[in-house]
Amino acid sequence: MQFGHTRYSADDFYDELIDKNGEPRRHARELVEYFSAMEPGELIERQRAVDSTIVDMGISFTIYSEGDNIDRAWPLDVIPRAMPGSEWDTVERGLIQRVTALNHFIDDLYNDRRILNDGVVPAEIIDSSKNYLEPCRGAKPKHGVWAHICGSDLVRDADGTIYVLEDNLRVPSGVSYMLENRNVIKRVFPSIFRNHRVRPVSEYPSALNAMLRSIAPDEIEVRPEIVVLTPGIFNSAYFEHSYLARTMGIELVEGADLLVDDDDCVYMRTIEGLTRVDTIYRRIDDTFLDPEAFRPDSMLGVPGLMRAWRAGNVALANAPGSGVADDKVVYSYVPDIIRYYLDEDAIIPNVPTWRCSDPKHLDHVLANLADLVVKPANESGGYGMLIGPHASKDEIARFRDLLKADPRNYIGQPTLNLSTAPALCEAGLEPRHLDLRPFILQGEDVAVTAGGLTRVAMRKGSLVVNSSQGGGSKDTWIIEDDD
Amino acid sequence: MLSRAAERVYWTGRYLERTEDAARIVQQYSQLLLDLPYEVGVRWIELVRIVGSAASYAETGLPETEDHIVRFLLGDKNNAASLLSSLRMARENVRNTRDLLPQESWECVNELYQYANDAIATAVDGEARFDILAECIGRCQQINGVLHGTMSHRAPFHFLRLGQCIERADMTSRIIDVAAAYLKRNETLVRRYGSVLWTNALKSVSAFQMYRQYRQPQVVGYEVIDYLVRDNDFPRAIRFCVDRAKASARKLPRADATVAALDEVIDFVRPLDAEHVTAADISAFMDSVQKRLGVVHGHVVDTWFLPEDAS
Repeated sequence: MQFGHTRYSADDFYDELIDKNGEPRRHARELVEYFSAMEPGELIERQRAVDSTIVDMGISFTIYSEGDNIDRAWPLDVIPRAMPGSEWDTVERGLIQRVTALNHFIDDLYNDRRILNDGVVPAEIIDSSKNYLEPCRGAKPKHGVWAHICGSDLVRDADGTIYVLEDNLRVPSGVSYMLENRNVIKRVFPSIFRNHRVRPVSEYPSALNAMLRSIAPDEIEVRPEIVVLTPGIFNSAYFEHSYLARTMGIELVEGADLLVDDDDCVYMRTIEGLTRVDTIYRRIDDTFLDPEAFRPDSMLGVPGLMRAWRAGNVALANAPGSGVADDKVVYSYVPDIIRYYLDEDAIIPNVPTWRCSDPKHLDHVLANLADLVVKPANESGGYGMLIGPHASKDEIARFRDLLKADPRNYIGQPTLNLSTAPALCEAGLEPRHLDLRPFILQGEDVAVTAGGLTRVAMRKGSLVVNSSQGGGSKDTWIIEDDD
Repeated sequence: MLSRAAERVYWTGRYLERTEDAARIVQQYSQLLLDLPYEVGVRWIELVRIVGSAASYAETGLPETEDHIVRFLLGDKNNAASLLSSLRMARENVRNTRDLLPQESWECVNELYQYANDAIATAVDGEARFDILAECIGRCQQINGVLHGTMSHRAPFHFLRLGQCIERADMTSRIIDVAAAYLKRNETLVRRYGSVLWTNALKSVSAFQMYRQYRQPQVVGYEVIDYLVRDNDFPRAIRFCVDRAKASARKLPRADATVAALDEVIDFVRPLDAEHVTAADISAFMDSVQKRLGVVHGHVVDTWFLPEDAS
């Protein structure tokens, strides 16, 4: 494959668009031809058009730097990432299977605890998890669903196998960027969509709205009042909170806008007076939700919210306590969890994982730190992890101490050779590593986004895709097969 | 509409108006001092008293000189009523209600804040003051142009205008008070300089031209007071502001208490006979206007910003 004068090569990695012989993969043929036909200068022009469209549309994210909040323009690479529809259909089935099992698991943990009593998952793993919340014991959310919105990170290894790297069951973010990436690419390349059958993503806000409606308390007969609860304008995902509220046509509220009255119902303060709220899509972490139940110093939450939720007077998405299932030690049990509740084998495999809580596993991890990725059990955003092959001797020594001091809090995984796709870099098109975060909605029904948010590590050789750490993104195309 | 959003938009209206008024009142006073001999007894500390900051100025322990007082009124970040403090609050409120206000209004407010933050220290110096304050006033009017020219006349607009009108009526009452304060002093001097004083009061609310067009060419104290208090057509007259506030309140839900309080202000100012009251009475009258506007504000807060009872 040729881009301008340089020949594109992804070396030993699996490239999403180009095969080992340098030819476009079947599903990506027209996409690659379209961009190959462009002069390098034109490609740079298009990237500029993408960048300025993003500024004009006000698509931004916030980062913290030295105590200041800075709004940055969202980074989007000009070349889409594509997957064939037939492959995606399998992934979608796998994601539905996974979320269904995880919701059975969470419901079980807070109620009968069968899986612990049957010894499939050790009880001490759950009881020592800081995401296991005792105040949720005995709660019965509608449809038995706790994690209504799940963002599972998928990666592809050198042999082409797709793995689930982690499940985000607390307040996964990024879906607004998936939607806006498509809007921007449609604006800059209107003609390209004519020759491709790309599955649309734009129905997500209405699917989200339908899901949130389906979990409203039963006695609500008229249109339920649904709100998005944000920590406020200083939160790094505020753009997304405001975007989702706007596209769903519902109020964006802060904790101070809500109150729980003596009837244990939640009300919103409006100029019409107090208005009953039925479903809250909360983008606040569990322990900040209710100063009466959790952190008494939380200024973000609503006193009494847990009371109202336990009484069944308000639905919270995701339900508090759902995070117990995205602990990375629990992650290592997901294939067993799927088998236990659904009597099926996992359709999408897990990345092999060593649990440092197990002394044998810990020895293995300590002996192979330079080759492994080590992650803390409960962090997100790519923080606090060690990528062995890229780490200095000092860092490895530091992690050796951390692991010995608190083995329960760490897991080890082999360093995957994450797949790549061509991205426009200073020197032209170069392979860059990427992952994929689809979003799965479960209420009365289950729905999966067609594709998801593709995040790209824009620095050469880097595996870190987080936007707070120099990551970029791509529009993600699920292309119908020709058959 | 959320109470919090309504409150922020209302305060955006008040703080924007307060920013413009702070610039206007310092501008007026600076001009006045150039026109009057020292014996008339116009002192800068009077201005601090008029804007209701006498106690907080006394706390600073600063001397009552022009440079300190002007810095206090314009650029002092510790003075919550200074131009810069008002502007900072306006900017914070606009930033938090960007979904409700036109995009350009955020850009204009932000630019004005950057400008004022850099320039205001220089405005303490008499030479540059006029130009800098004129620029601030002009930019405030630009922001108002954006807001009034592009916002739908729905709840957010009505809260904005409610805030602006209440603040503006309050400031007009204070500007009349500034001038009336000197009527009490020295009858001979006032007879000689009265028209300078009142012309200045008119100019400070951009009313000079309209006054001459629709009232009379001569600037006469009681006529000016009547114009600025009771006129139905001039946008900065107290009566006009209260009427507009009422028109906005009536578009909002559950407005009875606020509308009644606004009617009380109207009933209070309508019978004023400026020709036959003393200067001391004018001062007391303006205090009463301000108190009644405070009652209106209280109802706005209780009705729309702090609903506590289930409906």
